[in-house]
Amino acid sequence: MKDNIQTNQAAVSVEGVSKKFGAAVVLDDINFSVLEGETLVLLGASGSGKTTILRIIAGLETPDSGRVILHGKDVTELPARARGVGVIFQNYALFPKMTVEGNIGYGLRLRGRPKSDIAEIVNTLIELTHLEEHRRKHPSQLSGGQQQRVAIARALAYNPEVLLFDEPFGALDAQIRTRLRREIRALLREIKVPSIFITHDQEEALELGDRIAVLNQGRLEQIGTPYNVYNKPATEFVATFLGAANLLLGIVNENRFEAEDIFLKIEPDPKIRDGQSVKLVFRPEDVFLRRPENLTQNYQPLVDGIVEEVNFVGAFERVVVRLNISTRPPILVTRPKSETTVFPLEPGVKVPVGLVRFRILPNYTLASERAARVI
Amino acid sequence: MSANLSNIRHTHGLDVVKPLSITTLILVMMPLVLLPLASIFIFGTSSGLRSFWNALTAPEAVFALQLSIVTSFWATVFNVVFGLFAAYVLTKYNFWGRNALIVTISLPTAIPTAVAGFALLLLWGPYGILGRFLDPHGIHLMFTAAAIILANIFVTFPLAFGVIKPVFDTMNQSLEEASATMGATRWQTFWHVTLPSLRGAILSGALLTFARAVGEFGSTILVSGNLAGRTQTAPLYIFAKFNEGQVEAANAIAIVLALFSFLIFSVLFLARDWLEAE
Ligand SMILES: Nc1ncnc2c1ncn2[C@@H]1O[C@H](COP(=O)(O)OP(=O)(O)OP(=O)(O)O)[C@@H](O)[C@H]1O
Ligand SMILES: [Mg+2]
Repeated sequence: MKDNIQTNQAAVSVEGVSKKFGAAVVLDDINFSVLEGETLVLLGASGSGKTTILRIIAGLETPDSGRVILHGKDVTELPARARGVGVIFQNYALFPKMTVEGNIGYGLRLRGRPKSDIAEIVNTLIELTHLEEHRRKHPSQLSGGQQQRVAIARALAYNPEVLLFDEPFGALDAQIRTRLRREIRALLREIKVPSIFITHDQEEALELGDRIAVLNQGRLEQIGTPYNVYNKPATEFVATFLGAANLLLGIVNENRFEAEDIFLKIEPDPKIRDGQSVKLVFRPEDVFLRRPENLTQNYQPLVDGIVEEVNFVGAFERVVVRLNISTRPPILVTRPKSETTVFPLEPGVKVPVGLVRFRILPNYTLASERAARVI
Repeated sequence: MSANLSNIRHTHGLDVVKPLSITTLILVMMPLVLLPLASIFIFGTSSGLRSFWNALTAPEAVFALQLSIVTSFWATVFNVVFGLFAAYVLTKYNFWGRNALIVTISLPTAIPTAVAGFALLLLWGPYGILGRFLDPHGIHLMFTAAAIILANIFVTFPLAFGVIKPVFDTMNQSLEEASATMGATRWQTFWHVTLPSLRGAILSGALLTFARAVGEFGSTILVSGNLAGRTQTAPLYIFAKFNEGQVEAANAIAIVLALFSFLIFSVLFLARDWLEAE
């Protein structure tokens, strides 16, 4: 799971970082890198250790072991003020008694830059973040989105090694979040400053990240492009945390997944041996509820099922289907409008169930097994 | 909320409860607060402004006022700086005995001022626990202006701290962290980020301390020696003149002290809002 990026070309490298608070292990051997100009999203549930990683990179917290490297320089021992990272705090942490201009220029004033330089840089940043009308206001007179732009401009002013965002949309309502997310993505593409972006929102992660690192209880479960993390989840946690996933328990036998009356051809996988207990993982949108006529995708029939529920959920339809054997939990299927108009379904109808995409993951039932797995 | 409350109507037509309760309020306050204050002014000016002015500019009176202001000033400076320091340390660091320290700082509020003065005498007086070692070297703290400052510091000790500490408590810790990540040293953060947010609290802490110190009587009378023209503060002057039957002289200073407290009160009232704005 170590990503194969050379430390010397990375903007940020976190190497073997562990942290305990008292007896609680909050971070367990975290390794990852962020490339120049890249946005890495750290995705994880509440309490998974995201903020702690960020604070360790910023120098606001010391790791028990491991190193933090910024542009090839080991900064593990440096205090926060000597690291030159830009942090956008969850509540923005703007200085209440300074104007927008004062906030943005603060880092430059600390560095003793000449007044004329400061004015010029502040002007450029105010234009970049569209804060022209607000330059003389105090933070309390700004909206959440404007405050956030000030926080970003303030961090950009002194050419930070890396930008660290700690759930910057946490306090805003859903509509504004979506808009700001677009704004930030556009801004990050424009300025090309390497960034680490924390969120517990999978949609946000998929939209913002060049790569996503999924964190679960202090361990990094997977790191990769949004496409790979979503479509090729390495663990059950990743599969279920990023979007909905159906799970079926079974075993592997001669390159086949078997679960009672279900048989699926699978790709050979060196990590999985015959007879091993596994989970079949598939997303609701990867299920087909009719025999394909000219589907060229890797369609594989699963088994027949009975439709139990049909719900319209805006852009798509959500169908609950019970597979052949009644003791199995029902599976969730989503169908786009194009499907639902041509093949309407109603409860009680028998349908052929097939998959166009799925994953086979080892079924770790014991914690020790899980801990011992090679990642 | 309170605006809504007054809109609730319990009766139709004339509501007698409202005028009745306001009248009661004023009637209770009249003999207890308003009339005593008024009588200072009525009496003080009854024999003409001329004699009021003379009483006020008597050398001993001027000296008493000056002494009160100077000693209160130094006690205020000390207690504000110390209160700021104590609030910073007790907010930033968590250590064993922290709560005990907080309680100790607040303790002087609960101690009768005469006890405070007496305690200072027992410590610094010529035969006091520490004073007896200083006395042979010709160092006399008690019965000097320094003693008045010490007494003032003691009785006003918790006031500035008490106003500043809550502001520290509610201050957003991430402001200081943000400042640090932007490159500030601890001192720069304190100066540019922490202190500006404390302006209001420092001003009110200082005014409260000063107002309280100027009016201090119980401890001062014990430690100062009450020597007219040397260690007699304004409140002691009022007491002394009254005892000598010179009610007009006492009254002139009383008026000044009363006006002075009105002034401080108004500044507190107005400046608070002004400083908190933004
Ligand atoms: N200073 C601290 N002292 C003790 N425990 C801490 C401290 N900071 C964090 N923790 C614990 O470490 C764990 C991880 O915290 P962290 O703030 O990194 O989580 P997070 O992923 O950012 O969560 P959230 O999404 O809720 O912000 C939590 O269980 C938290 O209680
Ligand atoms: Mg967090």
